[in-house]
Amino acid sequence: MDLGVVVVAALPAFIASAVEFVEATTIVLAVGVTRGWRAPLLGSLAAALTLAVIIGTLGVAIVTVVPENVLKGFVGALLLLFGLRWLRKAILRFAGIVALHDEELIYQKELAELRAQGLTSTAFDRIGALVAFKAVLLEGTEVAFIVIAFGAGGPAALNSAIVGAVAAGIVVILLGIALRHPLTMVPENWMKFGVGAILSAFGVFWFAESLGNHWPGDALSILGILAVFLGASFAAARMLQQMLPEGAQVAAKNV
Amino acid sequence: MSSTLRSVGLTLWELLVDDGQLAVGIVTSLGVAWILAHLGSEALADLAGWVLLVLLCALMIANLARAGRNARRKMSA
Repeated sequence: MDLGVVVVAALPAFIASAVEFVEATTIVLAVGVTRGWRAPLLGSLAAALTLAVIIGTLGVAIVTVVPENVLKGFVGALLLLFGLRWLRKAILRFAGIVALHDEELIYQKELAELRAQGLTSTAFDRIGALVAFKAVLLEGTEVAFIVIAFGAGGPAALNSAIVGAVAAGIVVILLGIALRHPLTMVPENWMKFGVGAILSAFGVFWFAESLGNHWPGDALSILGILAVFLGASFAAARMLQQMLPEGAQVAAKNV
Repeated sequence: MSSTLRSVGLTLWELLVDDGQLAVGIVTSLGVAWILAHLGSEALADLAGWVLLVLLCALMIANLARAGRNARRKMSA
């Protein structure tokens, strides 16, 4: 495999997908620990199959029907909406304005909610299966989006992005099985910050390419675009720290 | 099932739009880059990417400054 393709597609897809898998694993673990493993595992499997069908039909249809230029523009625009959202939230968290994403807290909250619901006497735990199904489907949709984003460069990039995402899934699931506890040691905000910047850089690159823009050094210019985004992000984080030296810890929706 | 579909739809929306002002700003920036690239000159088309990059960085900083001001106002209220 070409090292360049791995760096451009597989590695960022691995990191970004790992964040999503960690979030899904937290919920599935909470369900499994409180209500038993059969229902959440079946719910997760059903979600994975649903995702495979969605990607297999919609993804293939889009790639085969939509002209390459339009596809690049569309993917670029989606990447920017998605990437800048992650970047913004990560900067707000670094500046202490929004609370850090706490997997332990989410896990404990989920445990309490599931215990409060209680187990019914029916043979199959529908609540457990549904909670796991929703978590895996929603986080999986983000993984699918990440794969499409990093794989938009062509078949080699798409294959690398799929390998990166699958590897992330295997690593996170194995860690979850081994630890039986949410993966709180994962530096989620740093990962989201990095991935947000990378997605945004790819977004600018693809969208401009769809307009006929010729970047100096072709794909290498992504590094330059990334450097600009990182510079702007650090400047914004410093600005916020000066505005609110003590932080604020308000809800993300309120800023 | 309908609540599941609703929450999937809502999550997909929130996947892309967390802050309405930022989303509108991004779409506007993309529109500006598109117009620049379609003005006819090849030199302008090659500038579109850089203009888009500058617009988006400025947008992000302005959006975060607004978020900071909002948070400060909520803190002092």
